[in-house]
Amino acid sequence: MATFTLKSFTGLRQSSPDQTSFISHVPSSLSLPQRRTPLRVSAARSSPNLANRKLRVAVIGGGPAGGAAAETLAQGGIETILIERKMDNCKPCGGAIPLCMVGEFNLPLDIIDRRVTKMKMISPSNIAVDIGRTLKEHEYIGMVRREVLDQYLRERAEKSGATVINGLFLKMDLPENWDTPYVLHYTEYDGKTGATGQKKTMEVDAVIGADGANSRVAKSIGAGDYDYAIAFQERIRIPDDKMTYYEDLAEMYVGDDVSPDFYGWVFPKCDHVAVGTGTVTHKGDIKKFQLATRNRAKDKILGGKIIRVEAHPIPEHPRPRRLSKRVALVGDAAGYVTKCSGEGIYFAAKSGRMCAEAIVEGSQNGKKMIDESDLRKYLEKWDKTYLPTYRVLDVLQKVFYRSNPAREAFVEMCSDEYVQKMTFDSYLYKKVAPGNPLEDLKLAVNTIGSVFRANALRREIEKLNV
Amino acid sequence: MSISMALFSPPISSPLLNPNPIPKISLSLLSTKRLSLVSLTRASSDNGTSTPASSTVSATTVEAPKPVEEVSVKSPSENGAVGGEETDLTTTTTTEIKFQDAKWVNGTWDLKQFEKEGKTDWDSVIVAEAKRRKWLEDNPETTTNDEPVLFDTSIIPWWAWMKRYHLPEAELLNGRAAMVGFFMAYFVDSLTGVGLVDQMGNFFCKTLLFVAVAGVLFIRKNEDLDKLKGLIEETTLYDKQWQAAWKEPESSSSTVSSKK
Repeated sequence: MATFTLKSFTGLRQSSPDQTSFISHVPSSLSLPQRRTPLRVSAARSSPNLANRKLRVAVIGGGPAGGAAAETLAQGGIETILIERKMDNCKPCGGAIPLCMVGEFNLPLDIIDRRVTKMKMISPSNIAVDIGRTLKEHEYIGMVRREVLDQYLRERAEKSGATVINGLFLKMDLPENWDTPYVLHYTEYDGKTGATGQKKTMEVDAVIGADGANSRVAKSIGAGDYDYAIAFQERIRIPDDKMTYYEDLAEMYVGDDVSPDFYGWVFPKCDHVAVGTGTVTHKGDIKKFQLATRNRAKDKILGGKIIRVEAHPIPEHPRPRRLSKRVALVGDAAGYVTKCSGEGIYFAAKSGRMCAEAIVEGSQNGKKMIDESDLRKYLEKWDKTYLPTYRVLDVLQKVFYRSNPAREAFVEMCSDEYVQKMTFDSYLYKKVAPGNPLEDLKLAVNTIGSVFRANALRREIEKLNV
Repeated sequence: MSISMALFSPPISSPLLNPNPIPKISLSLLSTKRLSLVSLTRASSDNGTSTPASSTVSATTVEAPKPVEEVSVKSPSENGAVGGEETDLTTTTTTEIKFQDAKWVNGTWDLKQFEKEGKTDWDSVIVAEAKRRKWLEDNPETTTNDEPVLFDTSIIPWWAWMKRYHLPEAELLNGRAAMVGFFMAYFVDSLTGVGLVDQMGNFFCKTLLFVAVAGVLFIRKNEDLDKLKGLIEETTLYDKQWQAAWKEPESSSSTVSSKK
């Protein structure tokens, strides 16, 4: 059709004025693929097709976000390059994935080391509450090893057509125009040149920054900073008889001794447990908090040997700018970790996929150049789908992690079956499920009661201090 | 005060294996002038717990209270071979004191021991739980599967909580509101000549009344003013951090002010 030959003429920058003049001569029997308003210029719809090539997108970072993004891009027909600095990276992580991730990302069941179906919440005064009675047979929280999961997602991306490069992203040169490429500077490690690697550059049309909490892509586009928590974890191999207790059970310890604004945890891994804690406001005392966590779990991990100590920053909220022109941030780089539970793997993978889908759609499967409005669609979709979840968890953290009485009330409330059901439903399926209004009312009354009692006991404690 | 301190310090510094310092305390009871106060506390606590007395007299809160002076060695003699690069977690020979109380049975409070005149004395249950929590805050303990803590504060009936905490505070706040109300009404009447009934019909006066009630309710201590301001900012902060992506900075400079 005549309109297409004009579109493939890449010399034209401002394609719309010419095309509108052409349109006026076209007989009405010719159906136009798209409507174009005469004066609009910058929308990607009116950009010309890329001549003789597909859209080139680089994904920096090969974790869950990068792997999912690269796979979706490659499947959408886009030339994808995934740059990961350490192929066998064992990211320090809780390693918990919700049930919906297994289905949505078609994860094979052998990736999951353990299925956690019971949780224990332990209050500052060691009141322990068992959670998980309401779980159905097929429901569980999957515990994975990050190195296994990340490698699997990267391999899948490669099978779909992405090129995986072992390299360290250094910086990128921002383009001046809407269609000039980004120039990425990176160091490629290919085994032959030894540990130092070889400096290389690459030109790409768009970049997805999936390089984690200390994202260099974010720095390159001036995305701004965020508050972050330090998560500190020790992997401990405990005797087999003690390990059977943690067979399918994870523990959460709350208390001022364990963390002033987060929780301490004991998560079972493949053949050992991970004992850790985190904090935002008192990062300097993290070792003290870790000792306190170990102390609280002492009886259950006695005789264990610490095989690894690791720490990592966890973002607390998104960066001020999550995208800029044709660069978008996903996963930890964007700051998509929930409060209260500190969950990040699922949201990283989902955001990578969503961003990639937006690019695929905006470029019409790699045929056209994209621009910022296409990436904004990803942000809109993300905020619309998940902002309620983030908000609810933020409120929970603000209310229940404030102080020891609040934590006591929190643990007390978790013994309620309705609370457990709602919590697990929203965690496993990532939907803020609307509950039964009557039960909600009862829950509200019980919450107020628990908080009141805990605060009353705190006042009693203060009286004793006098 | 000093007499009681001097008399109380011997029990503390004596060897930890003294399980029953009651005789010493009863001696000191007789010699201090604080007979009435101490005897009250003695009546409410049982034989096994001697610390309630000491803590209320405020003589010896420095030392960790030792209800029953039993020392439990926390680590069984686990002497696994420590690998070269691995760190062993066994603690050796650190003596720690767990929370022990005669009324704390099987991880919960034995309500039968709190009975007074045939009915459970909920006030003492509340105080006992507060003491347990205070102890644990100062000396965090490990949780064990052998002795899980099962106590749930909701077994204490709601009216016990009301009587102990809500009613005194309600009385205080109502008193404040009444005083403020009376003097404001008098003041306005003396200035404007508008009587109480007519004041209630006036919109401005009704607003003032609302402000006074809200003030009495929310600002109970001086620190509450700052706390309230911080609270309002805190509730909106997270939303602002999320919406930041939608606000385009005026200049396209690369360093954007971070929203902390």
